[in-house]
Amino acid sequence: MSSHKVVHAFYTDDDVLMDAVKTVKKAHYHIEEVFTPFPVHGLDKAMGLPHTRLAITAFLYGLVGLTVATVMMNFIMIQDWPQDIGGKPSFSYIENMPSFVPIMFELTVFFAAHLMVITFYMRSRLWPFKKAENPDVRTTDDHFLMEIPAGDDVDALQTLLKDTGAVEINITEKH
Amino acid sequence: MGSHYEAPIRTPLVTGNKSYHDVSVDVARPVEGRANKHWWIVFSISLAAFLWGVGCIIYTISTGIGTWGLNKTIGWSWDITNFVWWVGIGHAGTLISAVLLLFRQKWRMGINRSAEAMTIFAVVQAGLFPLIHMGRPWLGYWVLPIPNQFGSLWVNFNSPLLWDVFAISTYLSVSLVFWWTGLLPDFAMLRDRAVKPFQKKIYALVSFGWSGRAKDWQRFEEVSLVLAGLATPLVLSVHTIVSFDFATSIIPGWHTTIFPPYFVAGAVFSGFAMVNTLLIIMRKVCNFEDYITMQHIELMNLVIMITGSIVGVAYITELFMAWYSGVEYEQYAFLNRATGPYAWAYWSMMTCNVFSPQFMWIKKLRRSIIFSFIISIVVNIGMWFERFVIIVTSLHRDYLPSSWTMFSPTFVDIGIFIGTIGFFFVLFLLYARTFPVIAQAEVKSILKSSGDKYKKTSESHE
Amino acid sequence: MGRGDIVKDTTLEVFNTKDAKVWNPKPHVSKDHVMIPTTDPGADLWTEFDRSIGHHFNLSIDLNSCTGCGACVIACHAENNVPVVGKSEVRRSRDMHWLRIDRYYSSQDSFIDDVEKKDNIAGLGSSLSEFGELENPAANPQVVFQPVMCQHCNHASCETVCPVAATSHGRQGQNQMAYNRCVGTRYCANNCAYKVRRFNWFLYNDNDEFDFNMNNDLGKMVLNPDVVVRSRGVMEKCSMCIQTTQAVILKAKREGRPVKKDEFNDTCACSNACESGAMRFGDINDHDSEIFKLKNDKRSYHLLEHIGTEPNVVYQVKVRNTKEI
Repeated sequence: MSSHKVVHAFYTDDDVLMDAVKTVKKAHYHIEEVFTPFPVHGLDKAMGLPHTRLAITAFLYGLVGLTVATVMMNFIMIQDWPQDIGGKPSFSYIENMPSFVPIMFELTVFFAAHLMVITFYMRSRLWPFKKAENPDVRTTDDHFLMEIPAGDDVDALQTLLKDTGAVEINITEKH
Repeated sequence: MGSHYEAPIRTPLVTGNKSYHDVSVDVARPVEGRANKHWWIVFSISLAAFLWGVGCIIYTISTGIGTWGLNKTIGWSWDITNFVWWVGIGHAGTLISAVLLLFRQKWRMGINRSAEAMTIFAVVQAGLFPLIHMGRPWLGYWVLPIPNQFGSLWVNFNSPLLWDVFAISTYLSVSLVFWWTGLLPDFAMLRDRAVKPFQKKIYALVSFGWSGRAKDWQRFEEVSLVLAGLATPLVLSVHTIVSFDFATSIIPGWHTTIFPPYFVAGAVFSGFAMVNTLLIIMRKVCNFEDYITMQHIELMNLVIMITGSIVGVAYITELFMAWYSGVEYEQYAFLNRATGPYAWAYWSMMTCNVFSPQFMWIKKLRRSIIFSFIISIVVNIGMWFERFVIIVTSLHRDYLPSSWTMFSPTFVDIGIFIGTIGFFFVLFLLYARTFPVIAQAEVKSILKSSGDKYKKTSESHE
Repeated sequence: MGRGDIVKDTTLEVFNTKDAKVWNPKPHVSKDHVMIPTTDPGADLWTEFDRSIGHHFNLSIDLNSCTGCGACVIACHAENNVPVVGKSEVRRSRDMHWLRIDRYYSSQDSFIDDVEKKDNIAGLGSSLSEFGELENPAANPQVVFQPVMCQHCNHASCETVCPVAATSHGRQGQNQMAYNRCVGTRYCANNCAYKVRRFNWFLYNDNDEFDFNMNNDLGKMVLNPDVVVRSRGVMEKCSMCIQTTQAVILKAKREGRPVKKDEFNDTCACSNACESGAMRFGDINDHDSEIFKLKNDKRSYHLLEHIGTEPNVVYQVKVRNTKEI
């Protein structure tokens, strides 16, 4: 079976790219992907990408961290082996809580940051030994690449893209 | 035209008529080229210092803390001074990456990568000291709350040293992750340019397969923003917790609530000075004057001046509180600092920290590369003395005069400190030749608004 | 504040005629604009541990009867296997005395003159020079001495700061140092206002660099088998001879009886060795004991009481048989 064809349009200016994306979307084509060497402000909105929920996950992970810290210190200092250390009250968590605040804060930040980043890597499929998937090496240098499935009328698509200011248009197989 | 408009009177942050491709080529050049003679000379000296430090550490661990100059009255001296000094230096990198991101300061982009690298390497040095200053460092893992067969015998969460364990670990790991995530697109650039198979393999490995998809960039920006939002209170809390090592004690000169903001301001102060030291050299050696411009140096000098003034105000506040409180022990602690046997250290600290940054009020001086470099070194010397004065002068004469004594360092104390400086430079020099030292993807994103090439074209359109 | 926090002395005349508040003033703090003593429970931020059940050990040192003979120091060394470190280490302020006798010399002819000179220091010029002058002893000084060991503070500043919980407070009031848990951060020693903690800077036994009694088999026979010999890198300090107090308690347990009145009196090596009866040790929960009376004596005070460490070692004001101090 044949893998489907895609059209690759290259741009060298991010404003031109933005206009092109808007034009292509208005003409009801589906944009498979856009590869850029740096983040282009507004591109995700123009492409219709949904907002990322990573910030929400960070908040939730932070709550997890806070819970872990509290449960850990309550168990260690109050329940399992309470000691008389400097006369500090080991009778209840609240009474000794000022001592526990720094670690409650640190573990909140620790969990929020690390779990969020791990989530990011998992969702974007980034890890050591992962192969890069940008079709052209110039997309990390100074070129922007818009990938559109070829569909039936490839020529109309090509004309459209040329009109938007693409400096190069290729038709390739997508693996 | 488009979304990149920035007022033409704003100083360009990238000079030299750079295009996107120019940026890639410039940043890749130190990585793709060979190291020159100067690099090898500095590297050899740093390596020698590092190895000497390693030897001193081995001597300490095998023979005992008695090889240092400490005694029954002064239990901490160069060890904890160095620890706080290195942690303080590290904080500037996080500040530049995180706080300046939150304030949308575009000038951070040319310098944040190297500043963050400085943070990581500085915190590595700092992290050595809590371990090697222990009498029994092979049992250092006992500070971790791990179930064990002694009961389980747990750690003491009341102790500021334990808070330090959590704070420094969190700080080091989060800084590392923030740095590495930012590096992924830049490693990808090197990977895609690489022709030598070994280089290609290595950069493919460390770039985690970054492809530059729009969705990935969206997530990247969000993660950077959230990490910046987390790293900012982290920086403040970490150095506050370090200051608690002293503030929560009962010794006069240590027992004061001013330490948290005093230490944090001091950390930013010394950290920016170290960033200046490193970048002034690096921009010259790697020909990065178009990315680390005079504007960058001047802005950092302004931060140094402001935070130096805050530190100066803190010193004066301490003196005021000692007098106002009427507490004889507190008053004597400061009288002793200024007039006692360690007065030379106190006055070095005052000169280097309070007086020298005031020169930055003069525009000509803060725009002078040579002067900036000299002041950056002076500030770091002064900040070392500040920690030394706080620790040693407070300990050597506290409540009972029968315990009053003096401290002098041994060659081991000095050797370990020099070793950490050597280790720091070894790491930084290796980093400078293998990592993209400028956040080139970020710089590209501001090229159209703040690059001088585009400013000129937009001017001609007006 | 100042000198009166450390060594309190008075004359016989003042002692006999004036109220204790005059010659033995207790430090006060202000709470809600009312001055309360620092030992008042209202001055605490938190709830206290209840020490009224079981034993609660205290040690009293009478500065009047103390002659500074040093027998207590020798006894403590012998009992607790305190290492000998040699002259060069002592010169570097690394002696290992758990119990030491502090000596203070006046820089003028008497301590009263010292206090007067200090109180008259005003302005920058005299501050710069005269404090330094007070550090030098006079040719014929007045001397005062004071045995100091771990004060076993109920609100110990050292216990709070140990990251591995190597030092905590026992139910019987002692500050307990767990040598085998100590990783040697030395924070506890830094945070001790009395500077009573000692660190093992080197290995002091089986080490040719310290060729004293712990480096040969014969010398090792001097060691007390009831007490651990500490290794390098570990903190140590006065333990109120916990090995002997435990022995008394266990003996009573074996014999199926409560501990007798004043049976603890000779357990501490220092109090046992003290010929003049200046050092007395015992259980203050036993209201008939000698120590209970000493603790509540009108001459009793605590070292550096204003800090709020609530020590379990109590001193008795020195009363000099003179017209003037």
